[in-house]
Amino acid sequence: MNKKQKEQYLRDYGTLKAQGKPFFPYAVAKDSAMAVIVMIVIITMSILLGAELGPKADPTSTTYTPRPEWYFFFLFELLRVIKPPALVPLATIGVPTICLILLFLLPFYDRGPERRPERRPIATTAGIFVVFAIGYLTYLGAAAGPPTEIDIPVPANVRTQGTTAVANFKAGEQVVAQSGCAACHKFGENGNSGPGPSLTRVGARLPAQAIQRTLINPTAPMPSFSSLSEESPKQFQQMVGFLAALK
Amino acid sequence: MAKIKLPAPPSNPLVSPKRPGKKYGPSGPLEHAEEGAVSAVGWIDERTSLSGGLRWMMFRKVPKGTNWFYTLGSSTMFAFLSQAVTGVFLAMYYDPSATRAYQSIQFINNEVFLGEFVHAMHRWGSSVMVILIFLHMGRTFFFGAYKYPRELNWVIGVALLVMTMTMSFSGYLLPFDQRSYWATIVGVNINGTGPLVGPYLSEFLRAGPYFGATTLSRFYAIHMLLVPGAIAALMGFHLYLVAKLGTTAPPWIRAKAPEALREEKIPGDS
Amino acid sequence: MAERKEPKSKYTLDRQTPGAFEGETVTRRRVMVVAGQAAGGVAAAAFVLPALGFAMGPIFEKQDQPWQSVGKVDEFTDESYVPRTITLVEGIGDAGKSTVYIRKYNPDLDTEPRDEYNSYIAISTLCMHLGCPVRFTAAAQRFICPCHGGVYDIVGKVNGGPPVRPLDRFYTRLVNNAVLIGPRFSVNSELRRFSPRDPGEPLDGVGQYLYPSRPSMRKIQGT
Repeated sequence: MNKKQKEQYLRDYGTLKAQGKPFFPYAVAKDSAMAVIVMIVIITMSILLGAELGPKADPTSTTYTPRPEWYFFFLFELLRVIKPPALVPLATIGVPTICLILLFLLPFYDRGPERRPERRPIATTAGIFVVFAIGYLTYLGAAAGPPTEIDIPVPANVRTQGTTAVANFKAGEQVVAQSGCAACHKFGENGNSGPGPSLTRVGARLPAQAIQRTLINPTAPMPSFSSLSEESPKQFQQMVGFLAALK
Repeated sequence: MAKIKLPAPPSNPLVSPKRPGKKYGPSGPLEHAEEGAVSAVGWIDERTSLSGGLRWMMFRKVPKGTNWFYTLGSSTMFAFLSQAVTGVFLAMYYDPSATRAYQSIQFINNEVFLGEFVHAMHRWGSSVMVILIFLHMGRTFFFGAYKYPRELNWVIGVALLVMTMTMSFSGYLLPFDQRSYWATIVGVNINGTGPLVGPYLSEFLRAGPYFGATTLSRFYAIHMLLVPGAIAALMGFHLYLVAKLGTTAPPWIRAKAPEALREEKIPGDS
Repeated sequence: MAERKEPKSKYTLDRQTPGAFEGETVTRRRVMVVAGQAAGGVAAAAFVLPALGFAMGPIFEKQDQPWQSVGKVDEFTDESYVPRTITLVEGIGDAGKSTVYIRKYNPDLDTEPRDEYNSYIAISTLCMHLGCPVRFTAAAQRFICPCHGGVYDIVGKVNGGPPVRPLDRFYTRLVNNAVLIGPRFSVNSELRRFSPRDPGEPLDGVGQYLYPSRPSMRKIQGT
């Protein structure tokens, strides 16, 4: 904004202000009404949701799945999305710091006199993009389960084969989840996308025989499940059956 | 230039002259009480001159078109006040030690009269405050209200946003359940990933190389003294600037000069 | 070029400073301003510096890491891990404990040279991405982190995901047939020992200089 635009703004603003109403009681009435609404929301939430306390802090736990409060989900998801170890400082410190500096300095690089959102296409688009990005990351963060849990709807062809097939499918799902496969493979919405390939449709790509061979003689860095096939062949067969049914 | 004014003892602006036809002096206990209250306020104002500031704050005009979007800032402040009050009362029962924190929160939830309710208000109030401050920032952004002459107020607002997030983060260690503990471990380690200073920063936050005996009281001091004090101070400055510069009008409202001035257009100036 | 300026006289009177006095080089006003600011600064420093030092003290305090017994030798094998609880910080109850996975040194798996501190391998359960609790999954022979997708192989080296270095370890020692756990140390991707770092701090390449070791915890000299 140059000097003339500044003067123009102050003049327009002065006119609008002169035509306005006094803060007290007009704006104060609105503010108070809003304060009442805020209080009603807080009190309703407190009565309905309560202040439930989780289990006591236990640093020796190896089974707990830490998750932050919902308003930090977007930062949490950022840490999950940025995978390469070399980029970890970028995800933890770099991106948030850059975003914060951009936010702080906003009035110093966006100095145009225009205020209407529809006439500031870049700013408005960027703003909407940021809102959606944060919303999407929050959704992903909220949906991210622990890698020892897999929950896949039973495929239609398994369901038509009767209850034993469904039970076997569920049992195999359990074995796969507890074996930690989801740490490296993706199963639909569950699991991590890497370093292993997605197994959402592995049954369509490979027959059961090939899956069994791969489980016993995998290519590094995948571990061999030959000890599982020797110690409990039933569980191993359930695992193979589950993977082969993913089509 | 104005004439030099000699200082005179101020007359009490709140005491209005008596209506004609009335007897001099108060009659009846009600009028005596009213008289007493008015003169007490007048006594304070004679010594502080606060009424001028109050009048400046309350009777300033807000521009045409001011709508419900403009209540987001004051409701954020209201949520902060609610947090401050419920927080003070929680502090009366809370014990910031690694061995007793969890039990003291259990005691608040199960034994204290209205304990779980006040605890829940503080907990959900934090969510509401975070939502409100983001909505308030979104309104400011999309209305272009951060532009001249309100740049500084935007900067203060972003600082307040950062501090609000710091409050939520330092607050959720305090109940000392599993979520609190591990979220704090991760949060402190995030600070540790900054090159060179990071390791010392995380050690400063933990008061040592491990989560130790004084980590919890350190977070407690940050949560209830350091950051809220800074928030209150900055909020005061934020409000002062709002009152001084005025709230913006919605960007789609055009200023129309009064009829009398409209003819005085300079030729060539469109 | 403009004419060279006459060098300014050091006497205030010659410079025609307001409030100048014969023979002065600094006005009294300036002396008062500087003295006032200096006194204020000293007064503020007098409460800020001790308070800051007080708050930062723990950074420079050396933390004791006594050796503690975790069981007899025959409780551990060289094929799989046995979890044991140890105390890292005394006096705060369960909040000062941690879980360690222990197994015997296995020449087929372990590549680092044998010495007096690694006849048993003790692996910390904190993920080296940001410190979440990892769990050893026996079927997959992997340490799996539930937070951001970190996976480690059986010796603790990174298999996948964002962790920046292998899982931390503890010194172990044998005394009278009992396995003792000592201080923690960090390792780089070649399993070389370093003074303990926090999670998220890489030790390969320039990492060990970007994330310096701290006075509060050191590895054992010469290991």
